[in-house]
Amino acid sequence: MIDPITLEVIREAFVSTVREMRVTLVRTAYSSILYEGEDFSCVLMDGDAQIVAMSKGQDHPLHIVPIGWSMKAVRERFGDDIHPGDVFLHNDPYTGGTHLNDVAMLMPLFVDGRLFVFPVVRAHWGDVGGMSPGSLSGGATEIYQEGVRIPPIRIMERGRSNEAVLEVLFANMRGPRERRGDFRAMIGTCRKAAERVEALAARYGAATVRAAVAELMDRAEARMRRAIRALPDGEYRYEAHLESGRERLEPLTVRARVVVAGDTITVDLAGTSPQTAAPTNVGPAMAPTGAFTIVKSFLDPGSDVNSGAFRPLTVLTPSGTIVNADPPAPCGGMVEVKYCVESAVMGALAPALDGRVAGDLKGGGNHCYVGGPHPRTGETFIFYEYPAGGTGGFDGGDGSNTVRAWTESDMTTLQPIEAIEQLYPVRVERTSLREDSGGAGRWRGGLGLTRAVRILAPATRLSVLAEKTVLPPFGVCGGGAGATNRFWILRGVRPVQPSPLPGKVSAFPIEPDDVLMMESSGGGGFGDPLDRDPTLVAADVAEGYVTAAAAEAAYGVVLRGGGPDPDATRPLREALRRRRSRVRLTAAPDLDGPRGRAIRLDAATASALGVGAGAVVELVNPRGAPLRAWVTDVMTGEDRRAEIAPVALGMLGVAAGAEVDVRAVHSGVL
Amino acid sequence: MLGRALGSTAYCIIAPMFIVGIDVGGTFTDLTAVDEGTGRVVVTKVPSRPHHEADAVLTGLAALGIAPRDVRRLVHGTTVGTNAVLERRGARVAILTTAGFRDLIEIGRTKRNIPALFVPTFVRPKPVVERKHRFEVVERLAADGSVLVPLDVASVERALDAAVGAGAEAIAVCLLHAYLDPQHEHAIADAAKGRCPGVPVSCSADVVAEYREFERFSTTVLNAYLQPLMDGYLAGLEERLRATGYAHGVLTVASSGGMMTTETARRLPIKTIFSGPAGGVSQACHVGGACGVGDLITYDMGGTSTDVCLVRGLTPLATSEGSVGAFPVKVPQIDMHTVGAGGGSIAWLDVDGSLQVGPRSAGAAPGPAAYGQGGTEPTVTDANVVLGRIGSTRRLGGSIALDAARARRAVTDLAARLGGVLGVEALAEGIVRIAVARMTSAIREISIQRGHDPRDFTLVAFGGAGPMHALALAEEIGIPRVLVPRHPGNFSALGLLASDVKHDDVRTRVGPLRERWAALEAIFADMEAAARRQLALEGFGVQAQRMRRSLDLRYQGQAFELNLELDGAPLATVETAFHRHHETTYGHANPDATIELVNARLTAHGVVPKPAAERHPSASPALDDALIERRPVWFGGAPHDCPVWERERLPERAMLAGPAIVEEFGATTVVLPGWTGVVDAHGNLRLER
Repeated sequence: MIDPITLEVIREAFVSTVREMRVTLVRTAYSSILYEGEDFSCVLMDGDAQIVAMSKGQDHPLHIVPIGWSMKAVRERFGDDIHPGDVFLHNDPYTGGTHLNDVAMLMPLFVDGRLFVFPVVRAHWGDVGGMSPGSLSGGATEIYQEGVRIPPIRIMERGRSNEAVLEVLFANMRGPRERRGDFRAMIGTCRKAAERVEALAARYGAATVRAAVAELMDRAEARMRRAIRALPDGEYRYEAHLESGRERLEPLTVRARVVVAGDTITVDLAGTSPQTAAPTNVGPAMAPTGAFTIVKSFLDPGSDVNSGAFRPLTVLTPSGTIVNADPPAPCGGMVEVKYCVESAVMGALAPALDGRVAGDLKGGGNHCYVGGPHPRTGETFIFYEYPAGGTGGFDGGDGSNTVRAWTESDMTTLQPIEAIEQLYPVRVERTSLREDSGGAGRWRGGLGLTRAVRILAPATRLSVLAEKTVLPPFGVCGGGAGATNRFWILRGVRPVQPSPLPGKVSAFPIEPDDVLMMESSGGGGFGDPLDRDPTLVAADVAEGYVTAAAAEAAYGVVLRGGGPDPDATRPLREALRRRRSRVRLTAAPDLDGPRGRAIRLDAATASALGVGAGAVVELVNPRGAPLRAWVTDVMTGEDRRAEIAPVALGMLGVAAGAEVDVRAVHSGVL
Repeated sequence: MLGRALGSTAYCIIAPMFIVGIDVGGTFTDLTAVDEGTGRVVVTKVPSRPHHEADAVLTGLAALGIAPRDVRRLVHGTTVGTNAVLERRGARVAILTTAGFRDLIEIGRTKRNIPALFVPTFVRPKPVVERKHRFEVVERLAADGSVLVPLDVASVERALDAAVGAGAEAIAVCLLHAYLDPQHEHAIADAAKGRCPGVPVSCSADVVAEYREFERFSTTVLNAYLQPLMDGYLAGLEERLRATGYAHGVLTVASSGGMMTTETARRLPIKTIFSGPAGGVSQACHVGGACGVGDLITYDMGGTSTDVCLVRGLTPLATSEGSVGAFPVKVPQIDMHTVGAGGGSIAWLDVDGSLQVGPRSAGAAPGPAAYGQGGTEPTVTDANVVLGRIGSTRRLGGSIALDAARARRAVTDLAARLGGVLGVEALAEGIVRIAVARMTSAIREISIQRGHDPRDFTLVAFGGAGPMHALALAEEIGIPRVLVPRHPGNFSALGLLASDVKHDDVRTRVGPLRERWAALEAIFADMEAAARRQLALEGFGVQAQRMRRSLDLRYQGQAFELNLELDGAPLATVETAFHRHHETTYGHANPDATIELVNARLTAHGVVPKPAAERHPSASPALDDALIERRPVWFGGAPHDCPVWERERLPERAMLAGPAIVEEFGATTVVLPGWTGVVDAHGNLRLER
């Protein structure tokens, strides 16, 4: 057994080696998305495809966690035909890549003839070919349009690089000089790390380092198992939806069945929607990444990230679905699918966590591009931002306003106005918090932002890839939803919707002097807003986070002279509580379909909610996430009743006959 | 002249005149005084007195036996500003900003700026100016500095009245593109003088005349936040000192390592925000210059944290990107890397049984267990006591007696919780090793970041705990040379005596360097004229003024810049130098790309006379006279019979062989087995392996 001192010193060396890889890549990369955007991650792994160390804080979980699949793909393809001096390249989503722009480089090391700890870099290449500059496109219907697919290949064999393959790769990418420069920077980064790992082996002995790896894995595993054991055993289900459709909102659904048994968790995504001819698909690695992010965040956020923490978790991803697509489904929207898996798994785990979850998040990347010829130079310019939104409220605290979420790396998502206005023919007219956008709750969701950008040039086009533009981030435990993401055009005084589905816009023509309105979502609230401390509501109104009107309508708090008026607040809260629509749930097995979630409502409830067939409602879950459902038909009668599939009752944790609150979410008409 | 004319000092009692450096830290206030005539240095430490800093300073002077009227210059470094931001004790600030952008200060660049990955319950720190105290004025400049919307005076008056109504104690004026033309900001400041007299106003273009609005606004708001507090602090300090006979102004060290007059520090208190560790780096450069060591890594280990900085060719790496807590601060500063590991760092067991050291610290209260002030958790200091590396006979900082038994008990308890797999001494050595491992990472990373190999540098160790761990650190990194300067425990305060007055100015002029080149001379001349006026006001004659011009450059399309010094060379030479600089920093250059100018920077120095170098006192030429005792000290799992030397009595050229301990006021140097040391002509301890 390794002594505790050496273990810590080796752990520190691992993490420090990863941080050194980061500074080396920043120092040597050619493209700004790497040296400024830091859209890359570094990791040490071992021959068993285990993640040994990452740098928590800068590396992206969505880059790092799938690395294990990349190594497995290399092992499957090459078996033992791996030698010192070999370097492998990989980006294929179907075998564990993320999207094609993220290219992984693996540099296996050998000590005593056996695979040892070795460095891996996954970096976003600015362009990997495909139908549009930058390769990612909301309009892709096949992966071939998204760039060059790199299955696990040996790009360097015993120290000699395969120039022929490199030439083919770079010939198919825009900006080959940058690509080649970034490739070399990745090689240099891995080599530096390799030197450190080899020095570590020389200093402490390979056996000791291997023992340290094993011990670190075991400790992370033990921590995670202990945390899981504290959860009640059981089978928990929930589902979340991605947006699709042209006239009516048609959901793509991620279904999660989470089984907690002793010290293990199994996440089964059976029942998830079939893959689609649009970018919202992923390969086999992303859904486990999302599931892990939730389990880690809610059970053991403090510890290192290594594969040991993964061991108690099994994730089943049925092939041919959006969470494990087959070729040639495009996979550019992997961030959006990962967010959806996270929402589903968090919602499922909510009862096991006794409701200690957080309001939902912005649902994806919020990618927003404006491009066209620059009036000054004639060259194509691309103005790209991906605004953060508010985070969700949680038991004990309000969400934060417009900030990178806890599931993501800490990156800048807005550029300086004083830089943008020099570089592009645009003028930023407003950057402000969206009042009332945070989901109401005992703990309020954080606010999203409004960014108004006037486009001063002719012939520019807008593309958007975003989620939660129709279905808002849900609140939990009775909390209200945050405001949706919105991307639209203000033409004079007239609002213009660039697309029926606001989150999927492809090359919409912008007129000069149009104002692009980017509004990011608020976080979902936590707990019943009528239980929020009235003095907190008054403070929110004083700060302008919540309007006085919303204080009354959503929180039932009447203000007088800046403070809450208890005599007016009490009756208003009672009245609001009475006015809620409550339905008795009945099981209807015929409503269990493969897509979305169906519900029948009685006429009185439908009318009270102002909804008809095709509309989306949510059933409130006081101990977790609300269940969203599409109204299939309105039943005659006024008996305040709703029919849903038996499995959906389970998601709410109630039996048939139970009464729950129901709220309107969306008309369903795009 | 008079004294010499009389030919005898008997008729002219020349009182010694002192230059005094004061480093006001969280735990101790360090004082260092140099006798101008003899170069003799005296040092002391007194407990800091938060909110009564002047009292601590006077106590310290009294302890040194120096009358305030005999002090010719008093320089101080302070963490008052940093602490005020971290503890949110600053003023109620109102912000006046361009219509449409009052939330910019809160939204920023949407980064968390705190460790929060996988933490759903994280709360983003709110800016120090509340939303209800943010007011918009109607005006707008374009990206070329032209006026798109003229300043609407009525909106300014409304905003100022609202600010007064909200009880604002300071006002920050933050307008878009103001760095190109401050006229709107200045008009608002003028209006504020009339409508809210006595309320200090910070204009963003005056605090940071650079583009990137969020970083500029954040810095300006923090400046306003600190203004009333620092104003009171500095005025109070000067007043108290003058009342006791001190006749001069107080100088405050700036984050860049230069000094500021009180007038400047009261106007721009944000520039003092990283002044704490800057003195040590200045002093390391001073010492390095005197003994011919140009490339060095400073290693300043105190009670709660460790600061390291890379110095190349006697020039510390500098940056203007920093942050306090989660808030960006864009002021020129020494590029310091701080690790949360110091002598007071606590060793503890994580839930998975892992042994951790820090970042939690025992601080000044209760302090390490050995302080006997109620601390029971073992710290790095306690581990060193257990190992015999810190003796228990000498009082720490002159005042705290060490209780070795308590230190041992604390480490023993932890060893028991570890299941007895390690003996007490083995655990103590382990605690030190883990702390050293953290610092090793920091030094490797700052070196690699700039493309250097740390093994090419000399490690200069100071701070209360620096010399104790320096050799272990050097061994880990592979640095063969370590320098422990004189007075390592008071080194930062000493550094204050070696600093010049410094003013930084900057103009952002983004555009291709070739197009902007012709206009640069006028821009620099303008900045220099202002700087010379300021220095003249501060009493610096032309011959004591030094100007340094530099440019922030980048390749077109990049979003961050490299600073390049100008020395009067023609454009072509500057371009070549930039390509070369890019090559060293990033490993590649792009000679075909357009070089873009971002900022023109001027650093103006007012050169102060430096105290004469202290001659190394060598009371006795015999090494044996310096021996305090021999005691068992643990190294590599075994006790060694180890000599303990008194630093002040070590003669010049004295040779030491490890294992050995060198004790002095405020610090202990641990010489590991395998190392040898020699005292050089300046009294530095030079250690080699």
